[in-house]
Amino acid sequence: AAAFERRVLRRAAEHHYLRVRLELPDGGARPNAAQFKQLVVTALRELHGEVGASLPVDVLTYEEKTLSAILRVISSGLVKLWSALTLLGFYQNRRCAFRVLQTSPFLLALSGNSRELVL
Amino acid sequence: MVRFKNRYVLCEVVSEDPRCRQCIEDRALGLAVRDAITRVHGDYGLACCSISFTVKYLNAYTGTVLLRCRKDSYRLLCSALPFVRHLESRAQRYPCFLNTLHVGGTIRTCQKFLIQYNRTQLLRLLQTCTNEEEKQCIQTSLLSCSLTEEQSQSGDEEEDDGTE
Repeated sequence: AAAFERRVLRRAAEHHYLRVRLELPDGGARPNAAQFKQLVVTALRELHGEVGASLPVDVLTYEEKTLSAILRVISSGLVKLWSALTLLGFYQNRRCAFRVLQTSPFLLALSGNSRELVL
Repeated sequence: MVRFKNRYVLCEVVSEDPRCRQCIEDRALGLAVRDAITRVHGDYGLACCSISFTVKYLNAYTGTVLLRCRKDSYRLLCSALPFVRHLESRAQRYPCFLNTLHVGGTIRTCQKFLIQYNRTQLLRLLQTCTNEEEKQCIQTSLLSCSLTEEQSQSGDEEEDDGTE
């Protein structure tokens, strides 16, 4: 009989992926992809300073219609990014809020969302 | 045993401008350091480091500064010190920088280090001084600090390198 071996890797993934949606309740001009990334970096700079703003964050996809995006961040910076997104309140003096829909160390896991499953 | 542990960061203010000496005050320095922390680490860093942050000791003649902060955030403080580039007071701003000399857990260890450091600095000054009277001054200072405790009261271990 083959020996059963179990390996557990903690914190092995180097990136974390977040699916986020920006809520802008007033109907104004929507940010494009570059302005969206600028907003994320500004949020990091406000909460975590220059060190936070230099975190390697990438916007992998962005849909201007629904204002939802997939962000990728280095795993050690996940807490900083998520806290900065949570505490961001204004975009160009308009009230806004970031909702984090899914997060995972694997990009493939973001493709299915059991919360929006229609049974 | 649960108690609040602090870290004491010993630095010296180095400036090319001799008028910067009179500008070294505890409030101006505290504001400059806090401003640097805000720029480098943001609101979170400022709040973390400000919990127990004070300027404990300041010597304007030698430019020695002793800062206190919590043990959990002393790394944030130390990493922000190179970003202090001017000191402002009374609407004057002078360029300067902070050299970190020692990080200790108590004021006493920092004081012991400072005494040792000042002794070596006096020796280096002796080698680089130019005219005779400076040499005499430094030699008397060195002799007065190297005397051991034969004479108990007068031999205080603190440095008095009042004139440079």
